[in-house]
Amino acid sequence: MIDKREKTAMNIKVKSLIALLLIVFSTTSCNKYLTLEPQDGIIRQNFWKTKEQLAAAVNGCYASLLTDPLVENLFIWGELRGDMLAAGTGVKSNELNVINVNINSANTITDWSVVYKTINNCNTILDFGPDVLKSDNTLTQPVLNGYLGEAYALRALMYFYLARTFGDVPLKLTSTTSDADNLQIAKSSQKDVFNQVLADLKMAEGFVLKNYGNNDLNKGRITYYAVEAMLADLYLWLDQYDNAVKACDNIINSGQFTLVPGDPNWFTTVYFQGNSAESVFEIQFNQNKLNPFYNMFAVTGKRFKAALKVSAEMYTIDNINIDNKDIRGDGAALKFSDGSIYKYQGINSGSTRASSASFAHWFVYRYSDVLLMKAEAQNQLGNGQAALDAIAKIRLRANALQTSEMLVLPDDKDGVTNYILAERAREFAFEGKRWFDLLRNARRNNYARLDLLLDIVGTTADPQYQQAAIVKFRDQRSHYLPIYLYELQANKALVQNPFYQ
Amino acid sequence: MHITAVKAQTAPAAVTIRGTLIDKKDKKTLIGATVVEIDKDKRTVAGVATDINGNYALKLKDPNDKISFSLIGYKTLIVDVQGRTTINIELEQTSNNLSDVIVLANKTTNNGLLTIDRRNSTTAVAALSAKDIEEMSSATIDQAIQGRLPGVDIAANSGDPGAGMQIRIRGTSTINGSTNPLIVLDGMPYETEIPSDFNFGTADEQGYAALLNIAPADIQDISVLKDAAATAVWGSRAANGVLVINTKRGRVGAPQVTYTLRATGSRQPRAIPMLTGNQYSQLIPEEVMNRTGTPLNTQTVKEFQYDPSDRYYYNNYSANTDWVAAITRTGFTQDHNLSLSGGGEKARYFASVSYLGQKGTTLGTNLGRITTRINLDYEVSTRIKFRTDISYAHSNLDRAYNDDARSIAYQKMPNMSIYEINTAGVNTGNYLSPLSNIQGTYPGTFNPVAMLAAGKNNSLSERIVPHFNLQYEIIPGLFRSTFDIQFDINNTKNKNFLPQIATGQPLNDVDVNNTFDGDADQFGVETKTNFIYTPHLGDKHEFVGLLSFMSNDNKSTSLQEQSSNSGSVYLQDPSVASRVQNLASSSSQTRSVAALINGQYSLLDRYIVNAALRLDGNSKFGPSKRWGLFPSISTRWRISGENFMKKVDFVNDLSLRASYGQSGNDPRNNYSFYNLYGNYAYDYLGSPAVYSQNIQLNNLRFEKVTGQDVGLSFALWKNRINVDIDVYRNRTTDLFFNGLKLPGISGFNSINMNIGTMDNQGWEINLNATAMKTKDFGVDFNFNIANNTNIIRKISEFYPNTKGDITTNGQYKTLLQIDNPFGSFYGFRYKGVYKDASATVATDAAGKPIVGLDGVPLQMRFNYPATDYTFKPGDARYEDVNHDGNIDYKDVVYLGNGNPKFTGGFGPTITYKGNLKFTFFFSYRFGYQIVNGTRMLTSNMYGFNNQSTEVLQRWRNPGDVTDVPRALWNDGYNWLGSDRYVEDGSFIRLRSITTRYTFPKSMVARLGIKSASAYITAENLFTFTKYTGQDPEVSVRGSDPFRVATDNSLTPPTRNLALGLVIGF
Repeated sequence: MIDKREKTAMNIKVKSLIALLLIVFSTTSCNKYLTLEPQDGIIRQNFWKTKEQLAAAVNGCYASLLTDPLVENLFIWGELRGDMLAAGTGVKSNELNVINVNINSANTITDWSVVYKTINNCNTILDFGPDVLKSDNTLTQPVLNGYLGEAYALRALMYFYLARTFGDVPLKLTSTTSDADNLQIAKSSQKDVFNQVLADLKMAEGFVLKNYGNNDLNKGRITYYAVEAMLADLYLWLDQYDNAVKACDNIINSGQFTLVPGDPNWFTTVYFQGNSAESVFEIQFNQNKLNPFYNMFAVTGKRFKAALKVSAEMYTIDNINIDNKDIRGDGAALKFSDGSIYKYQGINSGSTRASSASFAHWFVYRYSDVLLMKAEAQNQLGNGQAALDAIAKIRLRANALQTSEMLVLPDDKDGVTNYILAERAREFAFEGKRWFDLLRNARRNNYARLDLLLDIVGTTADPQYQQAAIVKFRDQRSHYLPIYLYELQANKALVQNPFYQ
Repeated sequence: MHITAVKAQTAPAAVTIRGTLIDKKDKKTLIGATVVEIDKDKRTVAGVATDINGNYALKLKDPNDKISFSLIGYKTLIVDVQGRTTINIELEQTSNNLSDVIVLANKTTNNGLLTIDRRNSTTAVAALSAKDIEEMSSATIDQAIQGRLPGVDIAANSGDPGAGMQIRIRGTSTINGSTNPLIVLDGMPYETEIPSDFNFGTADEQGYAALLNIAPADIQDISVLKDAAATAVWGSRAANGVLVINTKRGRVGAPQVTYTLRATGSRQPRAIPMLTGNQYSQLIPEEVMNRTGTPLNTQTVKEFQYDPSDRYYYNNYSANTDWVAAITRTGFTQDHNLSLSGGGEKARYFASVSYLGQKGTTLGTNLGRITTRINLDYEVSTRIKFRTDISYAHSNLDRAYNDDARSIAYQKMPNMSIYEINTAGVNTGNYLSPLSNIQGTYPGTFNPVAMLAAGKNNSLSERIVPHFNLQYEIIPGLFRSTFDIQFDINNTKNKNFLPQIATGQPLNDVDVNNTFDGDADQFGVETKTNFIYTPHLGDKHEFVGLLSFMSNDNKSTSLQEQSSNSGSVYLQDPSVASRVQNLASSSSQTRSVAALINGQYSLLDRYIVNAALRLDGNSKFGPSKRWGLFPSISTRWRISGENFMKKVDFVNDLSLRASYGQSGNDPRNNYSFYNLYGNYAYDYLGSPAVYSQNIQLNNLRFEKVTGQDVGLSFALWKNRINVDIDVYRNRTTDLFFNGLKLPGISGFNSINMNIGTMDNQGWEINLNATAMKTKDFGVDFNFNIANNTNIIRKISEFYPNTKGDITTNGQYKTLLQIDNPFGSFYGFRYKGVYKDASATVATDAAGKPIVGLDGVPLQMRFNYPATDYTFKPGDARYEDVNHDGNIDYKDVVYLGNGNPKFTGGFGPTITYKGNLKFTFFFSYRFGYQIVNGTRMLTSNMYGFNNQSTEVLQRWRNPGDVTDVPRALWNDGYNWLGSDRYVEDGSFIRLRSITTRYTFPKSMVARLGIKSASAYITAENLFTFTKYTGQDPEVSVRGSDPFRVATDNSLTPPTRNLALGLVIGF
C-alpha cells in the first residue's frame, strides 16, 4: 500500500513537472504569439526601405495639401479679412464674425491643425528619409537631397502661412511618432519663425531640382523657382529688398516663364487647364480629390461672393463699349451679373464646371506675382519707375481699363505702393493674397501705412460693428488670429495672443 | 429497491451471470434493459440487453467488476456480484410522484470556472434561475433580467426589434472603453464586441449590437459576478462585470419533449398629442410674423396658401395627417421552442430548436430568428467524460433605414399629405416627397412613411458556436483536469437601400437610390485548460484549487461597398453598375492569453478564504505594456457557525464577507502601438501618396478596476428569509479615454490615452423571503435596492472640465468637478412669460425699475454685451438672480442631478394549491432629475417642426397670462436650459404581472401529455410617476462625464400582453 502511495506521489510529481515545463515553454512562445502585425497597412519599422517608398512619402506631403480644409483655410485666411469678399446666403456665423472683426478663440477658422499635418509629413521625411540610403543602394545622395529639399520647402511654405496669419506660432521641427513625444511646445516669435522659414528655404534652394522632366510635375512640385518665389515673398516681409530683387531675377532670368497672352484663351489656359507657362507652383487637385470651392462659391446657398466694389471700383466697367473688359474681371475672377466668384468654377468666360469637375488648382505663385513682387521691392529701394513699368506690363497683358489706371509719379513711394496693391488685387483676386498684401505693406516701417487696413472695415463690416472694428485694428496684435480654444487646452505651453485674452 | 439474490457456492475465475429484470411496482418483465459490466472506473467492459422475457446472461470478464442495470425511465442500479451467478433485479421508475419530492439541494454559484456552494460564496454574486425568467415575454435574456438583480442596470437602446441593450453592473467603470460585461456561456467567454475598425456604412454600431442570440428557454441559470474579487478570475476582460450563463443539459431519464410557446402582442401607448394640420398652419405664419414683423408670403411658401384655385398645393397641403400613427402598428411576437432532453447513465442529451418571429411596432421593423442547440454529455468512464455543445443562430433583422424616422414623424408638417394627390383630387398612390419645402430637404426631413416602407436596412447573421470539453480525472476524486475548445463563427451581412421616393432628391444626387452592402466575418478560437485539485483534508478543512490556462484568438474581416444613383428603386444592389461611393475592406486580429491560479479554503465551515492571481497577455498592447497581473482575495466568516451563535436557532446562516480584487479592460483598437503608414485615398499628380497615419501608443496600458466590497449575508427561519447586503467601491485607474484632443502641432487630431481615476461606489440590498407557506398558499417576496455614485478622482489636465453653452437655446451647463459625483446640471430658473411691455422693464432687488443714464427705465436684456438681446412681451422670463437687469451666466443656478438615489425592483409571487401562481414585478428609481428633452423640442416654436398641443396655450397678445412663450422663428431665447424642462423622474413601474396555471397531471394525462402549464403576462401596465414626459426610465447613453440625463424618447416602452404555453410529452 505504501508503495502504491509513493508511486502515486511520483506520478503527481512527474505530471506536475510536465505541466510546469509546458507553462515555461508556453510563456516564452506567448510573446511571439501575442505579436500581431496589421494586414492592411505597413508599420514604420518596415517602411523607409526603398527609394520608391521615399518617393511615395514625399508625394504624401503634397497630397496632404489637398486635405480639407487646408486650401479652404488658405483662402479664408488670405481673403476673409480683405475687402474683396462678401458674405453669401450660406455664410457661417464664424465667418461673419471674422468679417465684422469680432473674432474669438472659439472661432473654428483659427484651427491651424491641418497645416501642421503637412508640416508633420515633411518632418517625417526629414527624420526618416536619410535612413533609406542605408537599405537601398540605388538611392543616391543628390536624389535624396532633392526629396529632402522638397520637404524643407513645403515645411517653410506652411510656416510662412502660419507666421503671417497667427504671428507667433510653435515651431515643431521633428516628426511626431509616439505618445511619448513632447507636444507641449511654446510659441516662437514671428521673427524666429520667419528665420526658420528662411533657413529651410536656403536648404531647399541648394537641393531641389530645376526640372522634373514633365510640365505638370514642374508646376505641381517644388522646383528651384518655386523656392525662389517663396524667398522673394519672405524677403519682402523681412524688408530685405535687395535679396527680394535677386530672388525674383533668378526666376525672371531663367527664361522658363512668360506671361500667357491676354487673348480669349487666357482664362482657359491659366485657370481651367492650369500648369501654364506663367505658373510657378500650383497645388493640384484632381478628379479623385476635388477642391472645396464648389460648395463655397457655386451652389445657390453659396458662402461667399465678390464684394460690390470688386466690379465697380477695382476692375471698373467701360460704359461706352461693354465688350471692352479687363480680362481678369467679368467672366474670370467673378461674374459681374451676380457677383459670384468664378475663378475656380469656369471653363471659359461662358461655361462652368460641373460639380464633379471642381478640381481647379490652387495658385500659390504665378509669374505675374514674381514681377509684382520685384516691383514692390524696387519701389522700396527707390526705383519707382521700374515698378510702374512692371505694372504697365501686367496691365497691358490684361487689357486693364483706363478707368482703373492710377496716375502716380515714380518718386511717390506711397502712391506706387497703392498702385501695386490695386494691381495685385486685380491680378490675384480670390487667390488668397489680398489680406497678406495689405498687412505686409501696412506694417512696413513700423506700421506707417496702417490706413490700408483701417480703410477696409469701412467697406466690409456691418455698420454696427464698424467703430469697434476700427478700434480693434489700431491694435496691431489684432492683425493676427487668436489661438484656437482647443489648442490652448491641449497644449499648456501656449499663451494666447494678448489681444484676445 | 429490492434485490433478490441466490448465493452460489464458489466464485469461479470467469462466470456467467444470469437473471431477470422486472418492474418493481407492477412486476412486469422489462424488455430491452441494458445490463453492463463496469470496472472500478465505471468504464464499460461488456454489455447485453434483456430479452422479450426480461432475461439476460452476461459473461463477466472480471469477477471483481460490478454490474449496472439500466433502462430509460428507470433508476439505474449498480450491484456487486459478490460471487453470485444469478441476480434478479427489480427496477424502479424514475418519474413517479416526482412532485411530492422536495428537492433540498443547496444552491450553488458559479464563476464560470469553479462551482461553489452558494452558502460558501465569498463574493457578491446575484443569480437567476430559469424559473425566474421563463414567464417574461422577452425575446432576449438581457431583457429578461432587466430590473431583477440589484446593481445590474439594463436599458434598451430602443423598443424596436433587435435593438441592443446596455448592461451595466455597478455603474460604468470606464469613460470610453468597452462598457459591456463579459459573457461567459457554459464556462467559455462569448464574444459580443464588434471589431473596432469595421466601418458601419449607413448602419451604426447599435445595429450590430450583439444580440446574445440564445433562446431564453434554453437557459438553466444566469449569475452576475459583481465584485472585483469575483470577476478577477476573468482578469483583463472583466472590468465591467461578468454575466455567467449556463444552458440546460440532459438528465438521466426518459426522453422529455417540451414545447414552449409565447405569443405577445405589443402596442405603443398613446403618443404625445401633436398639432393638427389646421393648428399647425396657424402657428407657423404667426411664428414668422413675430420674427419678421411681416406676414408669411404664401405666394412663395405655398404650403400655407390654402387656395382652392391652386389645385396641387391645395390638395396636398390641406391634410390633417397623423404621421406618428401612420408609421405605428400593433406589434406581434411569436416565440416557439421545442426541446428534447434525456439520457442514460453514459450519455445524456439536450437538443432544442426555437423560432422567434417579431413584428415591431414601427412600420418596417421585423426580426426573424432561428436558434438551435445540442448539448451532449458522454461518460466514457468515471475518469473520462466529454461534452459537445453546438449552437447555431440565424437571424434576419429589418430595421428602419433611418433611426430618425420616428422623430421626423413627430416633427413633420401635419398639413401635408402622405401620398401625392393630383390636381384632380385623386390619390396617386405615390409618396409625397418634394425635393424641399418649408421644413427643408433630406436629411433634415423626409417622408417617414416612405422611408420605413420602402427603405431597407437588413442584417442577416449566422453564428455557429461549437464547444468541446474533455474531463479527465488524473487522480480520481483528487486531481482533475478539463480541456475546452470553442470555435465561434459569426458572419453578418448588412444591406441598406435609401429610396429616392423617400428623399425626393434630384436624380444626380448622391443620396438617390443609395445602396450599401457590407459583410463582416468573425472567427474566434477560445481554449481553456483547467487543473482542479480537491484534496481530502479531513472534516475541518476544505480546499479547492484551480490552475487555468486560457487563450483567445479572434480574427475579423470585412468588405463593404456603397454606391448610388442606380436607375430604379428596384435595383438595390451596389454591384449594379452605378456611382461607387465607397469601397472598403479591413482585416484585424486580436489574441490574448491568460494563466490563473485560484483557491478556496475553508476551515471548520466558518472561515473561508478565496484567493486568485491571474496573468493576462494581450496583443493590443506594445511589448512593454502587454502583461497585466490581476490579484484578488475574498473571505467569508460564518458567524452563525460559531459556538456562541449555536443557541440562536432561528438563524440558519449569518456571514460577513469582505473582498478585494482587480480586473482590467483592454482597448478596442488593435495595433495601436504601431506607427502605421498608409495611402491617401487619392493620388497626387498620378502617383501614390503615403503618410504616417497615426501616433504610436507606447504608453497605452490596461485600464484597471480595483474593487473592494464588504457584505453581510444571512438566512433566517429555515432559510425563509435570505438577505444579502453589500457596500462597495470600484476604483478605476488608468481610465481609458478615446479621442483626447491632441495639440494640432502634432499633426494628429486626437489620441487614446489612460487619463485618470474614477470611482463607482454604492450599496445594494437583496432580500428573498417566503412570507407564507401553508398547504395551499405560498407567498414569496423579493426586493432589491441599490445605489451607485460615479465620481472622478483624478483626471488629465488635458481633459476638458466644462460643457454646455448656457447662452445657446436648449443647452445646460455641466461641470467636471474632482471628488464630486457626476450628473449635476445647471441653468436658469424659468419664471413664466413677460405678459406685456411693462413686465419687461428691468427691476432691482427692491422691485424698483432700473433707470439708465438718460433717465429712461431699462428693459431686461440677455447676455449683455456679447449677445445683448432685449426681452420683448411674450418672451420667456428667467429669474434675474443678481437683479442687474441682465440675464447671463451670473444667473445660472443648480437645477438637478440625473443619478437616481435608489434603483431596484420588488414583487411577490403567490402560489395557490401548487398549480396557480401569480407573479408581480415592480421596478423603480427614486430621487433624480431629468431634462424632458422631448417637451423642449415639441414646444419651443423655434423652427418649422410640428409642436405638441402644449403650444396652444402660447402667448399671443399683450396681457395674455400663460407660461408658454410666444412663437418666434429662429430668434430669441425662449428655450434656454432652464428648470422649465427639468422634472423629477422618480417612478414605480409595474413591469410585469403573470398568472400561471399548471394543469393537474390527471387532467392532462388523458391527452397523452405529461405536464402542461399556461400563463398570461402583461408588461408595463402602469407607471406611477409625477414625470410628465413619455418615459422616466432614461437610459443615459455612453459614459461621458458631462452627460445630462435627457429624455428624448418619443414613446414609452410598449405595453405587451403575452400568452404562453409549456407542454411536456
